[in-house]
Order: sequence, then structure tokens, then C-alpha cells
Amino acid sequence: MNKVSTGKVIVCDGNEAAAWGACLSRPDMVAVYPITPQSSLVEYLAQFIADGRMDADLMDVEGEHTVLSVLHGAVLAGARTYSATSAQGLAFMFEPYFRTPGLRLPMVVSLVTRDAVSPTCVWGGQQDAMTVKEVGWIHMYCETQQEILDTIPIAYKVAEHPDVMLPVNVNHDGNYLSYGVARVELPDQSVVDAFLGEKQVNWHACLDPERPMAVDPLTGGAGGIGPSMFVKYRKGLCSGMSEALRVIEEAHADWGKRTGRYWSPLIEEYRMEDAEVALVTIGSMTGAAKDAVDAARDGGKKVGLVKIKTFRPFPAARIAQALSKVKAIGVVDRSVNFGWNCGPVYQEVLAALYALPVRIPMMSFIGGLAGADITVEHFDGVVDRTFRLAGGEMAAGPVWLNEND
Amino acid sequence: MGAAFDSISFKASLCDGCGDCMTACSEVKQGASRISIVPGAKAGSFETAICRQCGDPKCVQVCPSGALDKDGGNGVIGWDASKCVDCLLCTAGCSYGGIAVDPKVARVAKCDQCDGDPACVKVCPTGALEFRKAGSIFNEYGAKEDLFVPGLSGCQGCNSELIMRHAMRKIGRNSVLATPPGCIPGMGSVGYNGKTGTKVPVFHPLLTNTASMLSGIRRYYDRIGRKDIVVMALAGDGGTSDCGFHAVSGAAERGEKVLYVCVDNEGYMNTGMQRSGTTPYGSWTSTTPVGEHMKGKTQDAKNLPLIMTAHKCRYVATASTGYMEDLYEKLDRAIEASFEGFSYLHIYSPCPTGWRIPSSKVIEACRMSVDSNFNPLWEYTNRSGLRFTHSPDNAYPITEYVKMIGKYRHLSPDQLAHIQAKVDEQVALLKLMAAESPPPQAAHRAPAGSSTPAGAELTQPARREIARN
Repeated sequence: MNKVSTGKVIVCDGNEAAAWGACLSRPDMVAVYPITPQSSLVEYLAQFIADGRMDADLMDVEGEHTVLSVLHGAVLAGARTYSATSAQGLAFMFEPYFRTPGLRLPMVVSLVTRDAVSPTCVWGGQQDAMTVKEVGWIHMYCETQQEILDTIPIAYKVAEHPDVMLPVNVNHDGNYLSYGVARVELPDQSVVDAFLGEKQVNWHACLDPERPMAVDPLTGGAGGIGPSMFVKYRKGLCSGMSEALRVIEEAHADWGKRTGRYWSPLIEEYRMEDAEVALVTIGSMTGAAKDAVDAARDGGKKVGLVKIKTFRPFPAARIAQALSKVKAIGVVDRSVNFGWNCGPVYQEVLAALYALPVRIPMMSFIGGLAGADITVEHFDGVVDRTFRLAGGEMAAGPVWLNEND
Repeated sequence: MGAAFDSISFKASLCDGCGDCMTACSEVKQGASRISIVPGAKAGSFETAICRQCGDPKCVQVCPSGALDKDGGNGVIGWDASKCVDCLLCTAGCSYGGIAVDPKVARVAKCDQCDGDPACVKVCPTGALEFRKAGSIFNEYGAKEDLFVPGLSGCQGCNSELIMRHAMRKIGRNSVLATPPGCIPGMGSVGYNGKTGTKVPVFHPLLTNTASMLSGIRRYYDRIGRKDIVVMALAGDGGTSDCGFHAVSGAAERGEKVLYVCVDNEGYMNTGMQRSGTTPYGSWTSTTPVGEHMKGKTQDAKNLPLIMTAHKCRYVATASTGYMEDLYEKLDRAIEASFEGFSYLHIYSPCPTGWRIPSSKVIEACRMSVDSNFNPLWEYTNRSGLRFTHSPDNAYPITEYVKMIGKYRHLSPDQLAHIQAKVDEQVALLKLMAAESPPPQAAHRAPAGSSTPAGAELTQPARREIARN
């Protein structure tokens, strides 16, 4: 059982890696609608199915709203399902998307993150995924092509866990990961099969003449048992989210045992041992950020980094613990929180740190919008500014990294 | 009485007094006709005298010899010649002139419905005579399991409950039912607070994704070999024609094996009678009110079933609860077609609350909507094209229909003329489509003028003579 698989090695981009992750997870049904920068992902899936490499029903439908809707039906009938989308596709999908966690449907959908219109833009950014953070889906952000591939089977394991039963978005950055090419190791099918086991998708709610039931009757109202039932459903969803923190860690550990690849399940702490200041990152920007941290360390600056992989549920306690000893924090976002004039991750970290007995100065950095690159030089600047923050130089608002590029 | 029986019906407004029915009957029965066409009270009108196969037959009561007896199987009052003493009391006992005397043999001559295939109906050129199979349909449906809770909370007079209960009786338990937001789940089909309203798997899709969710369900069941499950929608016109149309159109284009029943009450009646894409021109709704500057809806309804034919669906039909036999036949065909492709049944269903019709007049309004060609009844398949299932000829003027309905009370002569023109235009288009379709496999009835019954040599006065007998 502990035999580590060393699968076939391929060179591919992040969209193909996601397609392989889906293929290896053996969904029964894949529904697709193309959108930049996700399109090549669904083309890979279609080709896998056309070639017989993947045994799934392919539904090429008329829009993302229907993508998720046919998958709702399929899950309730008993199918394991997969799809992927971006930005406007996610926006168009929103109505069934909003419903998915409430029905506790254990689906996996990749978000190839992209900045949302308007201004009209088809390039990477995380505004799409960040905008839907409160809907009740689990959100995991990947840093590399290999992590994308590995996280998709892990996501099924988490989604279908009886203590969780929630949909999962496995997110990878548009452009940088979707089209960026890297060495990727494909696990053997047998390894993924053994890892995932039998699918468990509709034991709780189904549309099956052999188990007739009403799925989602009207619930609520001003009196009677309705409102308390509704509260139980909502609390149940919160409980599934809380349980997911544990299950995500277990699933990553299990995957590591089988493949030798141990990804940090909730957050990754990088050179945080004696760090005086810390950066917080999410997604593919982390690679450049780590280079900047290494360079700063080489220069004698004690800086570390916390990368968030699991954004929903938010691993608040872990983050607070990881950042508890630093003197200042710079949070780098790839999207905007318009209401608070900062990045959304910044706001989350700020809230998480309220649990600490100390007040640590924090700054919001926003970069990489609309496909812009966040370079090592940008991160050098973030490190520098965060040290100045530690020295007492406060900031009135966020720093827009690409503003003067 | 548990059972209902089929019967011959007569629509006086369609009868032109030709007498073909009588000659056909005489020929088949080799004697006097069992049906008589007689002049009506108004000049040029006609009535019929024929055995009504009464439930409480006076003829049977007065027969002293037991020669007359009501058959419990088909409801026909049979006459046993061997027992009859030719007293003819029965002919006097019947208030309807339903039992004739054959003058040649001086014996009783009464209708036996030709074993369920009456000769008179077959030759009637105008459709005045029909053999109504409502009885056997009632018996068939009555024997089937009702799949909804007893107390569905629809408005009084609403036909949706009729449609739901009967459709699901026919379809049975091996099915998955989607009832998107609207009157049908509003009645409690999916239930409340953890309790179901239906014995089959049932759910609320979103208003917008009914056909999509059903597509996914159906595809998965096909994938695992459970191909005999009926996957169906009972949806309203709003979710079908407006915000959910992308899903319907997409599923139809992909040929998903789904039975989609649209119950069209011409608006968002469950949310308070707002306008939808199928709301007719001129109609009052709560969002197309009547005031100084606006007099109801200013656009025509989209003809959704016609649009579905453009998708080349496996089956498309319109139906009305005013013509239940037609509806049942279409339901059968729609179910069958749903195993082969997208099957779309559009049922016109007046809303007594939102249209302002007395609940007791709903069926009459349904009939008039068909008889005035406001809602023509037809069916289409992608193999044989379109055919009318109810003649669009000799239609009532549209005023006869709209005057029954409160939501049209404000219409001006110009608005009425607009509606009539649109109705005529719609029928002309359907006729064009019907003309371009291959002829149906078997005609229900020989067209006018094509029959040459044995009695054809009788002159018109001679026919009237028979009629008076």
C-alpha cells in the first residue's frame, strides 16, 4: 500500500494537466462549454473521450448555465462529474453554481481564473473565483501544473467524503498555469482508482425511481418547522465546510503516500522559521514570490512566505498560527475587493489574525490583474515595503503592483 | 357506477343535414337507420335522435320481456330479438326518440354503436358526429395509481391538477419528474418542509434549467442501461419560453430523450399574473395593465410549439384540456417519442384566477380557444411533419373566445381585429406546414364528398322523410 507510484512523465500545460487529473478520476459525465482561457482544457477532454482514453459521456451544451445544470441532474442520478470554466462562464453559471452546495452535490469543477468583464479582458486574474467565495464551494488554488493534476483527484476524495459532501473548485491561474508548460508526472490509473475508491455521490439525495424522494421541497416560511429546518441545512453546510479542513489534510496525506508528492493541503509555510516579516500569496504567483524571498534571505533579510492553497474553507487558525510571530505582513492579491479597497485575501488574513493577542501591521498589494506578470522584482518591492511597514511606515491604501509598469 | 362508457356525440353547429349517417347506418344494419337527423328549432339547423345508451335507461325499465339490457362492459343497451314481444313500449319510454321502429319488419331498431366503430361517425363529412372515447380513457386512467398527494392546493377551476394527475397516472412510477418554479410546485408537487407531494422522484429545477437537468439525468440513466425511465418536465410557459428557453432549445437541438410538457397559462400566474413571452397581444396582466396609456400587452405571443418544430424535435404537439381524448392520444405518443428524442407537448391551460374566468367556465373557454383557432390543435413529428388533430375550418370568430375572458374585457375593435388577423395568419402558416407534410397513415374520417353510400340515390326530401320517422 505504501508503494509509491512513479508514473509516466509528460510535458504539458496546466489545462492539459487538469484534463489528465479529470481523466484519471474517471467521471461518468463531462459537460463543457468553451471560454478563454479554459478552452483547451475542454478540447483535451473531448479528445480523450474521442480517443477512448476516457470513458465518460461528453455533453457539449449551449452554455455554462446548462453545463452545471446537466451535471446537477447527472449527480442526482448517480454520476461522478467534471467541468471547467472561467470568468464570464462562471458568471453565467452562477444560478446553478449558487445552488450546488445547498444540494450538497459532490462535484469537481476547475476554475481557470480570469479577470471578469468589464473592462473587457480575457487574461488571467482571480476576480472570478474570488467573487464567488461565499457561495459554499470549496476552493483550492494550485501553484504548478503538477499540483493541478494531483489536486483534482484529491478534490474528488474531499467532495465525496461523507463528512463533507460539497462541491470543489480546483483553481489555476489563467495564462500562467493554463498555458504554461512544465514537466508533469502522470500517476498510474490503478493508483488513482485505489485512492478514490467507489464513488459516493447521491446517497443523500437522488432522483431515482428505485429510491423515490422529493429533492429540495420548499423549506422555510414565517412559522412551523420550516425555518428551523432551513437553519439545519445551513448549519449542516457550515459543518461540512469545517470538516473539510480535516478531510483536505487527510486526502493530501493519502495522496502523498501513494505518489510521493506531498502538497501542502491548507497553507504552505516557506522559510517562516525565524521570519520577521511575511508575505502571503495564492496561486502561481508564489513561484516568483519564493524567488524573491530566497534573494532577500541571501541578503540577510529574515522574510518568509505563507501560501494559501485552501481558500474555502478558510484555514484561519493555521494562518494565524503561521503568522503569529512576525512584525509585519504583506498580502499579495490577484483580484480586488471593491468594498474594502484592498485585496480579498488581505481582508481574510486580517480577519484571521484577530484571534491573536497581538496586532500585526498588514498591507495589501494587488497585482497580476488582466494577465499582468508579477515578477520577482515586484516581489522584491513587496518585501522591501513590508520591512518598512515593520518599521512603522503605514500605508493608506493598497499598493497596485502593475500600476506603473 | 364505477365504469364509464364511450359514446357517440353530436355537435349540432357542425351538422348540415346531409343524412350520410343515416344511409350508412341503413346499409350496415340492412334496415332502418338507427340514427335520425331531424330539423332543429331554428331554420336550417338540425338535431339528432339516437340511443344515448343511458345510465338509467327507461327503455329497459319499461320492457316487459327483458329484451333490453344494458351491457356492463361497453355500456351499450342491447336488444335481444328472441326475447322481444314487439310491444314497442320502449320507443314510447325513451324521451329522446332514441329507439326507432323499422317499418318494414315492424320491429325495434336501435343503435348498438357498431362494436365501438360506428358507421355513422365514419361517414360524417363535417365532424358533427364523433365517437367519444372519454369513457374508456376514464376507465383506463381510473384504474391507475394516482401519484400525487390528495390535497394539491391549486386555484379552483385550474386544469393543471387535471394535467398533472392524469399525466403521471399514465407515466407511472418508473419516472423522474421535474416541476420548475410556478403553479405546479406551488400546488405542492415537490412538497413542503421535508415532505414530498409526489410518489415518484420529483424536484424543483431552477426556473431556467429544467431541460438541462433532465438531460443530465437521462444521459446518465442511458449510460447505465436504465433506458426505460421516463424523464419528464411539467413546466410553465414562463420558464419554458423566456428565461429557460436556452435550456429547452439546447436539449431539443441535442435530441435529449426528455418528455417536456409545457402547461401554458399565458403568463407568470403563480407570482401574480405577470406578462410572459406567451402572453397574447392585448391581454391584461399585472405588468401589462390597462390604463390611459397602455391597454394590455402590446406585442404578440411567441408561438412556442411552432418554434419547437423548427428544432426538428422527435415530437411536438399542442393540446387542450377542452379536448381530453386528443390530449391523451398525444400524451401516449409524446411518452413513446421521449425514448427516441426530445418530445414536447404544449398544453393550453386557462388560469381562472389570472384570466378572470369563472372556474365553472374554464373547460368551455378551453374548447372555444380551440374552436376559434386561437389555440389550434396539431401534432408534428420530424418524420411525418405537421397535421391538425382538430379541424381549423369553420372556426368561430375570435370575439366568441375573448368575450369569455375578463383579461380581454378592455379590447378595442382595433385590438380585436389585430388578434383575429394574427390568429388567421397563424392558422394559414400551420395549414401550409400541414399541406407540405406527408399524408397521415390512416385518415380518421373520409373527406367530404368521397363516400358513396348505398343510400346515395335517395333524394334530399326522401332523407328528410326518414329523418322524420
